Amino acid sequence: MKRLLVLCLALMSVLLLSAAYKATINVLLWDDALTQALKAGLPDFEKQTGIKVNLELVPSGTLLQKTLMSITAQSADYDLVAVDEPNIPMVGPLLLPFDQWPETKVYSKPDMNDIMPLAFAAGQWRGAFLGLPVNANIYVWLTRKDIIEKYKDEFKAEYGYEMRVPQTLNELLDMSKFLSKKGIYGWAPFTKPTEGATCEAIWMFESFGTKVLKVDETGYRVVLDKGKAVQAINFYKELLKYAPEGALDMGHAERMAAFSSGKVFSMFNWPALIPDLENPEKSLVYGKIEYTEPPAGPAGKAAIRGAWIVAIPKAAKEKQAAAEFAYWWMSIETGKKLIPKGLTPARESLLKDPEFLKDRPWFAGIYRSLQYAVERPRFEHYPEVSNIIRTHWLNAISNRVTPEEAVNRMVEEINELLKKYGY
Amino acid sequence: MSFSRNTAIKKRGLGPLFLFVFPALVVIFAVSIYPVIFSLYLSFTDRTLLYLRAPRFVGFSNYSNVVSDKLFWHSLKLQLSFMVFAIPLELFIGFLGALLFLKDFPLCRLLRSLLMLPVFILPVVSGLTWRLMLQPGYGLLASFFNSVSLGPKAWLADTKYAFVTVVLQDVWRMWPFMFMIIYAGLSSLPSEYLEAAQIDGAKFWQRVFHIIVPLLRPVMTMAVLLRMIDALRIFSEVYVMTYGGPANATLLLPLYIHKQAFEFGKVAYASAASVFLLAVSLALSFYLVRASFRGEVS
Amino acid sequence: MKKAKSLRLILCLILVAVELVPIGVVITNSFKRDIDIWARGPLYLKPTLKSYRAVFENSDFRLALKNSLIVATSSMVVSVFFGSMASFGLVRFNFRLNAFLIFLILMLRMVPQITLALPFYILFRNLGLKDTVMGLTVAHTSFNLPYVIALLLPFFASIPKEYEEAARVDGCRPFSIYWRIFFPLAAPGVVVAAVFAFLMSWNEFLYALVLSGPRSKTAPIVVNAFLGQYAPLWGQLSAGATIMLIPVFAITLGFQKYIVKGLSSGGLKG
Repeated sequence: MKRLLVLCLALMSVLLLSAAYKATINVLLWDDALTQALKAGLPDFEKQTGIKVNLELVPSGTLLQKTLMSITAQSADYDLVAVDEPNIPMVGPLLLPFDQWPETKVYSKPDMNDIMPLAFAAGQWRGAFLGLPVNANIYVWLTRKDIIEKYKDEFKAEYGYEMRVPQTLNELLDMSKFLSKKGIYGWAPFTKPTEGATCEAIWMFESFGTKVLKVDETGYRVVLDKGKAVQAINFYKELLKYAPEGALDMGHAERMAAFSSGKVFSMFNWPALIPDLENPEKSLVYGKIEYTEPPAGPAGKAAIRGAWIVAIPKAAKEKQAAAEFAYWWMSIETGKKLIPKGLTPARESLLKDPEFLKDRPWFAGIYRSLQYAVERPRFEHYPEVSNIIRTHWLNAISNRVTPEEAVNRMVEEINELLKKYGY
Repeated sequence: MSFSRNTAIKKRGLGPLFLFVFPALVVIFAVSIYPVIFSLYLSFTDRTLLYLRAPRFVGFSNYSNVVSDKLFWHSLKLQLSFMVFAIPLELFIGFLGALLFLKDFPLCRLLRSLLMLPVFILPVVSGLTWRLMLQPGYGLLASFFNSVSLGPKAWLADTKYAFVTVVLQDVWRMWPFMFMIIYAGLSSLPSEYLEAAQIDGAKFWQRVFHIIVPLLRPVMTMAVLLRMIDALRIFSEVYVMTYGGPANATLLLPLYIHKQAFEFGKVAYASAASVFLLAVSLALSFYLVRASFRGEVS
Repeated sequence: MKKAKSLRLILCLILVAVELVPIGVVITNSFKRDIDIWARGPLYLKPTLKSYRAVFENSDFRLALKNSLIVATSSMVVSVFFGSMASFGLVRFNFRLNAFLIFLILMLRMVPQITLALPFYILFRNLGLKDTVMGLTVAHTSFNLPYVIALLLPFFASIPKEYEEAARVDGCRPFSIYWRIFFPLAAPGVVVAAVFAFLMSWNEFLYALVLSGPRSKTAPIVVNAFLGQYAPLWGQLSAGATIMLIPVFAITLGFQKYIVKGLSSGGLKG
């Protein structure tokens, strides 16, 4: 009996020592197909490292609240947390800078050159990188290649140039005008009063050559070029004439409904929504979409980036184990295993891998868009700035106020906000 | 409604009182009192959701900020209009419904339960379904309204009609709630009174108004009171339908507070705004509760 | 009389049919493919069980349903038991504290949950109740209890003095007076209060979001997740919502028979 006991103990200690860690980490992430895909890989991760992962997935709209409630400078209920990039300035002080992440035993730091540089910039604030971008989330432009095939001759006869994936906003406008005669809506906007509307506003502003807020050594300055902003608004209003009914109150649900039922020619979309458009159960236009970067405005092409960053709180208890998990997530092997389950990678090698490109043509679109990535204003109190921008943007494009008035008020209120916070 | 007049056991000391009331009070206060007081304390600080340093005391500045925010007053106005339109409609339809179901008929039990389904459905699902039904092209209601030329093509994109939709959604969802309470009240009445209400004929409505309504007044008052208190907390349905838009046309008070607390992270400010909401609640319910304690000649 | 009965039936059928249109939309959507929901007209139906299969295969959803059932039932039982006692006590015993207590209880119900979310989170974290079914039950009881108390006040108040005096003549102690006489007489109100307490807990979202985690998450949280990162998974959302309707509907149907009409026997006779 005693010998058996000793044998058991010996066996147990061997097993325990063979695991690199004996830790449990709490991970807080947003909830969608990508993070759901991670669940499939957890048993393997635990076998390799001995780390048990408590994965908590929360709707992305409520992730920030939960993060702020559970993590302070002194205590953290989670060891690894996902942060939406516009919130990095706000949450920044709570996070451990990337170059201070502990050395890991099992998985190694991903090759920085393989991570799309502009995606990596999403996690940057005041000179420090605060985490790893785990997905390349960016405006991808969708165009119906079957519509182009069908009408290209007619279009060329009328407008004098080849119908193709719109390279400029003017081309988009021309094609929309043309297609409206055929009963097809040229384009679909995003107009619900949420963050999506701010993205539209910034996209147009950048395409016309102006930013809103800039940070430099002196602090924050409003740098909006009112003339260009008004131009952007007016152009958007022109485009709206060729958008589906109810265009002034379109959220993702409505846009997906319109595009997947075949009524819209061209629009932007976030990568997480694209698989649904290629799913015969959910879309009538699968296989008919071309994926590129957005068309250029007078100042060039701009694609709004919205990468998710995973970060380790300064007050986390299991920093090393958390780093292991993050590196595992970012590793190429994990990427290859989980992409079929819904993961969108941030690595160049994975985005360009021909094996995935075959079934996932939008990876090419993501890669192209990332070259033109632009970000929304970086500010610790971003939500309030976003609210100001979108309120006046929506008022202007809905004809409730003139573009000039909207732009003036926007600048005025942002300046007031800056003053309120002492900048 | 008279709590203290014709139905009281004479003073027996506090013993029996504690036996009955105490346990409930302990539970409620133990759990609610700390959060309520903490929330009140927060309203005098500058606490944000983001916790970088201990919150500092700022006196009444949150309160004065709330009062000077035009959006707050706009939101309050929307909230009160919403209640003024929705609650009487719910009471009226609920009352008529209760009268209709007064006497049993085949299937009545099933129909009553079916009628309660809107009250039971997840508010989020209700809001989304109404949003779906109002979409031009594939929405059921949108097609219907379009065919009778009622309203614009896209109701939710119009500031006035979006508000109408919010009222409509609430009336649809909650009139069966009023119905159920009034019906339960009717069921508690002695059968002689119910006989009076069931005789068809010219005297029916007179009997209803002179006998039934006064008897039901306590129950209806409580129903309105409870409905009012809950209407002041309406959130999910409207949030998923309109997010408070377009142009803040449906930014009811709880949405305003939610935005401040969870979108901007200004929890202390939101606490102060909640105190105002609480004050409105109290003001509205005060009259009703006081009337019930005055008692009335029955 | 027969004609009146069938007239009632017809009117009620029409009323219920109109009222149930949006519910019908939810239920039919749960049997449609997503693309059919918006590409075809509202009356098109080619049924499929894919959404239900997806929802049932979702282990999160199954766990959440179980948690919701436990939390809602517990919260309902506790609230109704203590709440009806308290309501009775507040109505029948004449003392000045009554009015104040009733008002205070109502007031607690009036504080918006949004404001209490953060304090609750801090309290529960310190008490170790975070991500527990019991913690959530306690949080739900905190708003159900005042509700039940308030709802039952008029029901207890409307029971005439004679019943009580008859019972006292029989030599009953206060608690038996309450349990044997008043509670059954107020049964319709108690049933309604129980159903509403269950319902409010069943559908409750905010506290569940803030206080629960992977182990204790409830059905509204999981169904809310079907709202998706951006656009709703309509089929699964409708299926999840329809499934959530079933227990509450069953409870209402089951409890209907306790809403007895009038006072038939007992009490005054004898």
